Amino acid sequence: MVSTQFPWLTTIILLPLVASLFIPLIPDKQGKTVRWYSLGVALTDLALIAYTVWNHYDFQNSGFQLVERYAWVPQLGINWSLAIDGISMPLVVLTGLVTTLSVLAAWRVDQKPRLFHFLMLMMYSAQIGVFCAQDMIQFFLMWEIELVPVYILIAIWGGPKRLYAATKFILYTAIGSIFILVAALAMAFSGDHITFDMQELGLKEYSLGFELCVYGALLIAYGVKLPIFPFHTWLPDAHGEASAPVSMVLAGVLLKMGGYALIRMNMEMLPHAHVYFAPVLAILGIVNIVYGALASFAQRNLKRRMAYSSISHMGFVLLGIASFTDLGMSGAVLQMVSHGLIAAALFFLAGVTYDRTHTLDLDEMGGLAKKMPSVFALFTIGSMASLALPGMSGFVGELAVFLGFTTSEAYNPAFKAVVILLSAVGLIVTPMYLLSMLREMFYGQEGNAVVGVSLLDAKPREFFIAACLLIPIIGIGLYPKLITQTYDVKTVQIAAHVRNAVPVVAHQHLENLPRFSFATPVFQQNELLGLVK
Amino acid sequence: MDFATLAAQLNAGTIVPEGIVIVTILLVIVGDLIVGRSVSARWTPYLAIGGLLLAVLALYQRWDSTSPISFFGEFNADNLSVVFRGIIALSAAGTILMSIRYVEQSGTSLAEFLTILLTAVLGGMFLAGSDELVSVYVSLETLSISSYLLTGYTKRDPRSNEAALKYLLIGASSSAIFLYGASLLYGLSGGETRLSAISAGIATAGLDQSIGLVIALVFAIAGIAFKIAAVPFHQWTPDVYEGSPTPVVAFLSVGSKAAGFALAIRLLVTAFPLVTEQWQFVMTALAILSMVLGNVVALAQTSMKRLLAYSSIGQAGFIMIGLVIGTDAGYASMVFYLMIYLFMNLGAFTCIILFTLRTGTDQISEYSGLYQKDPLLTLALSICLLSLGGIPPLAGFFGKLYLFWAGWQAGAYPLVLLGLVTSVISIYYYIRVVKMMVVKEPQEMSDSVKNYPAIRWDLQGMRPLQVGLVMTLVATTIAGILSNPLFTLANNSVTQTPMLQAAQKPAVQVSKDETVRLPIAL
Repeated sequence: MVSTQFPWLTTIILLPLVASLFIPLIPDKQGKTVRWYSLGVALTDLALIAYTVWNHYDFQNSGFQLVERYAWVPQLGINWSLAIDGISMPLVVLTGLVTTLSVLAAWRVDQKPRLFHFLMLMMYSAQIGVFCAQDMIQFFLMWEIELVPVYILIAIWGGPKRLYAATKFILYTAIGSIFILVAALAMAFSGDHITFDMQELGLKEYSLGFELCVYGALLIAYGVKLPIFPFHTWLPDAHGEASAPVSMVLAGVLLKMGGYALIRMNMEMLPHAHVYFAPVLAILGIVNIVYGALASFAQRNLKRRMAYSSISHMGFVLLGIASFTDLGMSGAVLQMVSHGLIAAALFFLAGVTYDRTHTLDLDEMGGLAKKMPSVFALFTIGSMASLALPGMSGFVGELAVFLGFTTSEAYNPAFKAVVILLSAVGLIVTPMYLLSMLREMFYGQEGNAVVGVSLLDAKPREFFIAACLLIPIIGIGLYPKLITQTYDVKTVQIAAHVRNAVPVVAHQHLENLPRFSFATPVFQQNELLGLVK
Repeated sequence: MDFATLAAQLNAGTIVPEGIVIVTILLVIVGDLIVGRSVSARWTPYLAIGGLLLAVLALYQRWDSTSPISFFGEFNADNLSVVFRGIIALSAAGTILMSIRYVEQSGTSLAEFLTILLTAVLGGMFLAGSDELVSVYVSLETLSISSYLLTGYTKRDPRSNEAALKYLLIGASSSAIFLYGASLLYGLSGGETRLSAISAGIATAGLDQSIGLVIALVFAIAGIAFKIAAVPFHQWTPDVYEGSPTPVVAFLSVGSKAAGFALAIRLLVTAFPLVTEQWQFVMTALAILSMVLGNVVALAQTSMKRLLAYSSIGQAGFIMIGLVIGTDAGYASMVFYLMIYLFMNLGAFTCIILFTLRTGTDQISEYSGLYQKDPLLTLALSICLLSLGGIPPLAGFFGKLYLFWAGWQAGAYPLVLLGLVTSVISIYYYIRVVKMMVVKEPQEMSDSVKNYPAIRWDLQGMRPLQVGLVMTLVATTIAGILSNPLFTLANNSVTQTPMLQAAQKPAVQVSKDETVRLPIAL
């Protein structure tokens, strides 16, 4: 399976990493050259991604493309193995875009600029590596490589409680990622041959009990990252304390690593366990949506409010994953891409506001619209996208998830009705907190932080960054096929794959089938207990 | 009988590397006597390093030797011993690089230090290949006595004296216990001293289930566990590490430990195959205790050397996973981890020495804000510590991955899970130091860092330190990603060692049973 063509993916992954090693050598005292260098590298990599996807990626092919595989540590069966398909390709492009824009957003970082850009480029590589890796150990490696840069990025350039937030982040993620390694080892050693290759692992036959255990372990690992309630508590701290460029990457890309891995591993490799876990995912999805929205409403800190809104929006990804339908799956991927763009835009604009007002406290703000009209306009567009206004990408994603879940044949109507009703509550709360956020920031009396301060409106650079994120949002909203047609052959295939598992499982546990369709957590526990016995 | 036939009969060619070390020792002593202390300090360290590297080269040539048994069975130069001897010699070479400036500043004689260190290396190298009780004991004592001398080398420092005395007392009693265990073996086997003959002797005498054999095993393990600082035989470690001269600690934590592991493999596998279950059980308990205690107590340390002392206890626990599972992959993962550990631990100690030389302290809190003043040192120490913590893509990650891989393959799930959990705990205390150095604002700098002297590499003895720093840094960074040669080396050293292959079949069987019993052990 060794490809004969140029190793595009390897080049894309290694370019920022190798380039970052030269940062200490750049002669530069003020940090001006470093940022140009870093931006240059990021842009080159983005251009490479765009070129590769456009010229060498076939949008109508549901299989893995641009496959590369080199023996890395053959003694342990570890390969350097890369490929992209319909699930990873949009996320790779998203990563390239968001990370490049966050490098540009970090233009004003004047504290230890070398270290900052070094870490940003390292993170760039690791993120793309996560989305492209086809070997479990390589995936785990990339997943972990991104930890330390994020830790340091939060701990040095963050807000007042940055050390606490950074430590919480690294402990949660490090403990979560133990489960990835354990699951990888367990799957690799089960069966007759040792392999870490994801496709081969997916073809192995596991016993159902084993599959459920591995699924549970992976769910914890990715549940921390996505985040899924109750593993979400690191997120408001980390996103709230990180500086704007880092928050952009955190919310825009890092959360998607969790969703991506859920689809790639839990669904593709463990479809039988997915049948059992899907109702749990749906319920966790609702909890995420409703809890995130309500918690967001209670926040007085601008970035924490957005952080909780991220939790709420990631709930839709879970619903889509649990839906067993083409449309639901497509919606889950679309929601990831769309939230990546929207969250990056909102966190960037929050940073822009913070640069001027020097506060994130909503009580201190107010009446900003008069002083910063363009920031106000951009912020409003971002918020509207986030609350799923029709014509914006958020709407398409959430609608697809809803439609997918409603048309799903795996659940009985009562369960579907409850799920849809409860998540609709979340949908109603979302405009409430976002609009009230806009009101408190931009309308009304001038707040303490605003009175008597002359505030500059958005500069061309800031305008450009926001536009780069908002234009795709509107583009996708107006013509969703623009993006869905690039990946839907793959999502259709995955949905069919897990749907095929339903009759198999039903056949194995025929007497449980009627109960299965009621799908409540109580029954799930009984089910699991029965299996363990 | 002339010399050549004698040498041929003894198969003396196997110990040429040790011979080179002996010649180096003599040259250093005599050279020091002739030219005087101040002049000799300029060239003796390089001579010693040259000698050690030459010894490593000689070891390389003896790889895959067709007749490894020499001195009528006293010494076994199989591939496993070659690898361990290489690790010990390299660790000493690294130690010398970092010790030149340190010994110079402490106002003691460098040549004498080198002599004792090289003698310790000699003991360690012989220990790695000893295949007979007497030579095991003699080389063990050579290593131990030299180590006691080294720990007390800065004789005007009361803490160094305290360390030496503690080490001597505990070490002497542990070697007495070991000797008693050896004498029991000698008696039980009907007067055999060769390790491979012992088990046969015991089996012939029908004593394979006797309590005496178990007592001998326990005593032998006590001696070994003292050398590798496994809990509960670790009590000397923190005090000795804190009080001794830092380069000595570096050698103790790498070279001496590697020699201990070499002894552990050879003695347990060859002399105790009749009680494999028992020794694997005891070592499992030691591994669990070491991983838990080493990593948990390290959380509370304020001194960098004590932190590394406890971390080295925890690391020994990880390495013991490879020992107790008793498979090919298990032994190979031990060897691989020790090779990686050589680079990262020596690197960490080089950084600590450099910091101590420049500021005169090793309190962790004094490291705060170091990034502003000394980026290279910060980078090197961060990389080495993160690698010890097992953060990818650094070398330590691949070392741990291999250990856990082998453990999982052998079915030792509880051990692997415990190893993973304690690794995460270890990340916390390693990253605490990194955070101290990198994250602190300029106004949060410690006094030592505020008064940090200008960085000068041209002082005498600083160049070798810099070379050591950069080399360990590079090795720690890339040895993981490009680990294939090291993997091959570690695997070959195990698969081409007859002793381990002979012990292979029963060992696998037992390790499977072992995991079933593990919950009781926990």
